[in-house]
Amino acid sequence: MKKLLYIEMDNCIGCRSCLAACTQCGGHDERNRNYVYDVNPLVDRQTIPLMCLHCVNPACARSCPAQAIQITEEGAVLSALVEKCIGCQNCTIACPYGIPKFDEEQNLMYKCDLCYDRTKEGIPPMCASVCPTNTLQWITEEELAEKQERHRLGKWVSSHQPFEPLEGETNVKISLPGILQGVQKLF
Amino acid sequence: MLKDKFQQNIAGKHHPKEKLVKTHCSYCGMQCGMNLRVDTDSNTIIGVEPRYDWPVTRGKMCPKGVTAYQQTNHQDRLLKPLIRDDASKKGTKEGFREASWDEAYDLIARRFKELQAEYGKDTLSVFSGVSMTNEKCYLTGKFARVGLQTRYIDYNGRFCMASAAAGFLRSFGIDRGSTLPWTDIHQTDCLFIAGSNTAECHPTSMFRVWEVQNRGGYLIVVDPRETPIARRADVHLDLRPGTDLALANCMVNLLIQNGHADHEYIANYTSGFEETQEIVKVFTPEYTSEITGVAPEKLIRAAEIFGKAPNAIVMFARGIEQQVKGADNVSAYTNMCLVTGKIGRPKSGVATLTGQGNGQGGREHGQKSDLLPGYRKLTNPKHVQEVCEVWGITPEEMPLPGVSAFEMFELMEQKTIRGMYLLCSNPAVSAPHLNYVRSVLKDLDFMVCADFFLSESAEFADVVLPSVTWSEDEGTVTNLEGRIIKINKAQEPLGESKPDWLIHVELAERLGRGDYFRHLQTASQVADEFRLASKGGYADYYGATWDKIDRQDGVFWPCKDEADTGTPYMFEDHKYFHPDGRAKICALPYRPSAEEPCEEYPLRLTTGRVVYHYLSGNQTRRIPFLRDMCPEPYVEVHPETAQQYGIAHDEVVRLFTRRGECFYKVKVIEAIRKDTVFVPYHYGYEQSVNLLTIAALDPMSRMPEFKVCAAQITKVPAAAKEAAR
Repeated sequence: MKKLLYIEMDNCIGCRSCLAACTQCGGHDERNRNYVYDVNPLVDRQTIPLMCLHCVNPACARSCPAQAIQITEEGAVLSALVEKCIGCQNCTIACPYGIPKFDEEQNLMYKCDLCYDRTKEGIPPMCASVCPTNTLQWITEEELAEKQERHRLGKWVSSHQPFEPLEGETNVKISLPGILQGVQKLF
Repeated sequence: MLKDKFQQNIAGKHHPKEKLVKTHCSYCGMQCGMNLRVDTDSNTIIGVEPRYDWPVTRGKMCPKGVTAYQQTNHQDRLLKPLIRDDASKKGTKEGFREASWDEAYDLIARRFKELQAEYGKDTLSVFSGVSMTNEKCYLTGKFARVGLQTRYIDYNGRFCMASAAAGFLRSFGIDRGSTLPWTDIHQTDCLFIAGSNTAECHPTSMFRVWEVQNRGGYLIVVDPRETPIARRADVHLDLRPGTDLALANCMVNLLIQNGHADHEYIANYTSGFEETQEIVKVFTPEYTSEITGVAPEKLIRAAEIFGKAPNAIVMFARGIEQQVKGADNVSAYTNMCLVTGKIGRPKSGVATLTGQGNGQGGREHGQKSDLLPGYRKLTNPKHVQEVCEVWGITPEEMPLPGVSAFEMFELMEQKTIRGMYLLCSNPAVSAPHLNYVRSVLKDLDFMVCADFFLSESAEFADVVLPSVTWSEDEGTVTNLEGRIIKINKAQEPLGESKPDWLIHVELAERLGRGDYFRHLQTASQVADEFRLASKGGYADYYGATWDKIDRQDGVFWPCKDEADTGTPYMFEDHKYFHPDGRAKICALPYRPSAEEPCEEYPLRLTTGRVVYHYLSGNQTRRIPFLRDMCPEPYVEVHPETAQQYGIAHDEVVRLFTRRGECFYKVKVIEAIRKDTVFVPYHYGYEQSVNLLTIAALDPMSRMPEFKVCAAQITKVPAAAKEAAR
């Protein structure tokens, strides 16, 4: 059963457990590959996570002159291959979300690979496994369809009416803040 | 049992040359399930893997949980006993030398015997904690009363759960932290959460909290700060710190007035309604608003939602409990459920969010100054007789009740207590009024500290004994639901470190009390004696065998015998534990905090946790990820208040009270009241906000008022700022 990463931004409490957990994936050399941002720290405590969205047609891979960035059949965009990466950092500039990180010492790009070490065996990625708030969820396509139905969402999952805020389609789906709009109160 | 919508059947990732040891986190009362990854070549813990099948937390962990494994083989671990011969170096890291266990035990036994010969048995004290297994907690109580034969034992639960315990005992006649399992939370229709920064202190509750709202239910949060959970609340009651009792009385008043009281329930199962109704009458929304600073409309709306909700759960934590009227606050918020009959059934009830890993179990089995195993009372001759039979002593030999944790410091100052055995606690950071506490610790004639890191408190000790982390021993812990769970051993003790229960057994031998302890040579043998000692008490663990815990994903106490599967839901028969079988609706007049703001100290200082640290920070400040995320304390100030003081974000300011001063960076944020400032308490030395807090104690629970005192801020001249850094 194909599953995908789904991010419900408004659930985030900023605990950064996803960052800590990222280091625990077998293929991650104990370095985290994702981000959590304070949205408006002088005002409130809203935070949002950002991990690689695993674009269907990823700019990082397209920009790579060495074809070092592989895409798996499940759609996971992997870290640069050690033997191919030339350390040009094109990918870090090309990515619209600022995801790829660069290891100066190894002259090597590394990024979220959707815990391919785990997900290829049907085990959820570390970040979604530990996320205490279900901001990060590992869900089936049926579950995504239910969410889209409930929130009347477009191709890109968002709480507003269908629109396409980003150019490209991504394998990771995001629900922007405002998820509770339209929830029917029990009483 | 207790399956829910979050169930996942995932085994977890298994790496080659590794085994997974299922256990729970070392930190808070959530006790999240986790698997420790153990390298099978070196037999050492190397990581963590989610435990997806644990029914309470479903693999979820906060950043403390994810990195908890890094404690075990940490470079700062104490590997050998330490002795300090030069007492003038007390209060510093200096002067310690490594010693053998024999030398350390001999020195402790000699000094303890000398002190007791000269000043009497009660000159020694034990200061303990509840971040350890029930077996260790149980044996610590026995070690104090049978091994050391002293009446003075108390524990850091006085800084944590004592008010919840006192309040529940008064309301229900029994103190089980939650009347229902955590797996009910997401199914209720209204969560009323007071004084709990749940998102940071019990993060793995949050997926259930948000689910209430996803289902169309309501979230009401009572907190002076707009915490990450308050940010999304349907109603945020942003009260002044220390005014909960007025707010709770107002809720009860409005519930009655709105016709939401369940008079049949009140008549059949409770007492005290009429007196309470009389007391709460004055707490109109307008009058309550004057005291609490919360807008009347919000109070009205909150009471309306709670009253209309078919099911509702009232939850609270240290915010309401760490006050000079903490026990009253607990009973007053509990009144909301009793008056509306929203208790004693699924999806409705009362729960406190237990702070420490074993804050529940650790308070039940005889570490508290007046309690014996099974929640028995030292003042009840029948209870004393029952425990004496297990311990093999006569009732005449049983020491009298002692005093509470902070009061022990006062007895140290008076030289009534001259020696202390400290374990599993770090009062040099976590106690209030630290200038006083630290000077008292320094003046002790002889102090022993058992810990796995050299804590700030260990720096006051003459002898430091290396104990083990949670992952190097086995035993049970009782989580915040009242569910007894099993901690499993994943690695042999590092260096020469030993589990606390073994240290007690060996030390008792040196003190000539070996006959009472010698038969306890494994954690499982301690467990068997402990279950027996609890048998017949309110907190009866006799039927909670390790095998049963494993088989049914934990056992909720009371669990009286082999056939008993435990008690997930309390009061289902609506029988309470008072002699009349009724719950007590408590009539509680309002009283202000011990130290109200004044012209000289116009701000209210409140303290609390951040998500990255646990208690005094002795563990979490050593974990690189957690330290990097929040390396130092800060003072949170509303922008308007900052403007009034002419201070800017990130500027270092002097924050002071009648008891001390600290220098903190300012964190400007709109998510706090204008009359309130907040500082996290996890830090040592001159960074400890407890240098400023007040040691005013709740008369019932003896809990200090960490959550409110009067403070003032001044700007710091540039030169002084440099010096402070």
